[in-house]
Amino acid sequence: MVTKTEEAQLSRLESQVDNGGGGAWDFLCLVRKLKVRRSDKVLKHGLSLLKDPRKRSALGPDEWTLYEQVAIAAIDCHSLEVAKDCIKALQKRFPESKRVGRLEGMLLEAKGSWSEAEKAYSSLLEENPFDQVVHKRKIAMAKAQGNITVAIELLNKYLETFMADHDAWRELAEIYVSLQMYKQAAFCYEELILSQPTNPLYHLTYADVLYTIGGQENLQTAKKYYASTIQLTGGKNRRALFGVCLCTSAISQLSKGRNKEDNGTELQSLAATALEKDYKQRAPDKLQLLTSALKSLRVSS
Amino acid sequence: MAEPRYEIAQTAYIKMVLHALKHKTSAVNGILLGRVSDQKDFTVVEIADSVPLFHSHLSLLPNLEISLILIEEYCEAKGLNIVGYFHGNERHDDAELGGVAKNIGDNIYRYFPQAAILLLDNKKLEALSKGKERSPVMQLYTRDASKNWKLVSSDGNGSNQLVTREPSANVVLSDYILSEKWQDIVDFDDHLDDISKDWLNPDLFK
Repeated sequence: MVTKTEEAQLSRLESQVDNGGGGAWDFLCLVRKLKVRRSDKVLKHGLSLLKDPRKRSALGPDEWTLYEQVAIAAIDCHSLEVAKDCIKALQKRFPESKRVGRLEGMLLEAKGSWSEAEKAYSSLLEENPFDQVVHKRKIAMAKAQGNITVAIELLNKYLETFMADHDAWRELAEIYVSLQMYKQAAFCYEELILSQPTNPLYHLTYADVLYTIGGQENLQTAKKYYASTIQLTGGKNRRALFGVCLCTSAISQLSKGRNKEDNGTELQSLAATALEKDYKQRAPDKLQLLTSALKSLRVSS
Repeated sequence: MAEPRYEIAQTAYIKMVLHALKHKTSAVNGILLGRVSDQKDFTVVEIADSVPLFHSHLSLLPNLEISLILIEEYCEAKGLNIVGYFHGNERHDDAELGGVAKNIGDNIYRYFPQAAILLLDNKKLEALSKGKERSPVMQLYTRDASKNWKLVSSDGNGSNQLVTREPSANVVLSDYILSEKWQDIVDFDDHLDDISKDWLNPDLFK
């Protein structure tokens, strides 16, 4: 997870490098550390470092890290010639390396040589069946070819072995969401909440999924998870505040005519007040829209 | 009566394409706003404006409902209608209209029978960068009598049902792409993360 300060630091460095103010290496290190995707910039600035023999040798052993970073960025930008040159340099230095083998596989993927890439990954897995990155490449490859069912199958198999990999759980959850398989997605988010109970994003998306499935019981649970998101974020998450309003409105529509009138309306008006206050301060021109939107949600209560 | 024609304003058109370009690695969607005007022997649906919606979790309802409630309020104040839906697929070589897009389209259709779904056409978008594409880089889908969404062919025999209002739209769009204008576009996802970002993108064309 990238924090606000890290993001600010990154964009400051980025514009400094873009404007020729130096600091390219620091920028590239930060990109690696934060694991963000800035392939076009990495390619541009990384390549110019590599092309300058003086700067390159000043990096010492980090030179090879840079080759790897630029190779991956080049593959992402489809600059396959650059990628090939970087990988060649790495091969020469590390002839038997599995890590370089993975890069070769990725280059084959980028060329669209799916079956050859498949072969390369399979032989890497024969040597080391627990190479998580290679497993993930195979899953990504299935996804890239549009074989979503294969991707789901591989991910499930992967998770049998690497149960604690929450990125993989999240990927599986998102695939299920995109296929509108909400019950399966809900299961994945339950796993994620169990493994990282204080991450508000999982509470929020779990609530979103339950709301989408609908029905009295799911709506009640969704509202609780929106509430826990609000608690975990100190009331700063607008999606959760809106979520509480939507749930309350949907629940009272479902239970129309029955009692329990007061059930949860207090939470709704608290959320609505927080939203109105927030908009008043930071988006005053949208306050009018918000107020009437909230009113339309409250009609039924 | 003849099939309605769809005329999309340059700004509405450009916003949708730039939104897709900003989020190259994920599926995106948007809402088309406009009105119907009856000509002598056919109907024209004018798409006057558009709102970029999401670039994550397109198929989850809560955020979609919130955005639509707010957009409806906006429309009422401006005398516009929600007239259609825009979708850009996640994968570059995926030219099919998916289930999520159809479901959202169905819901718009219930309130607006001439509703259109526009699907980003990556092949045409690619041709655009080579300066060869004149027609909109989107495919038009409308709902037929059997309630299926059907691709309306746009292979220029003069009867194109989807046109841009300004003939210069693709030229302007190319300029915007070259100057990386897509970095500035704001969608509803961005707005919900930071409400001071305006989903109407009032400063984009200044």
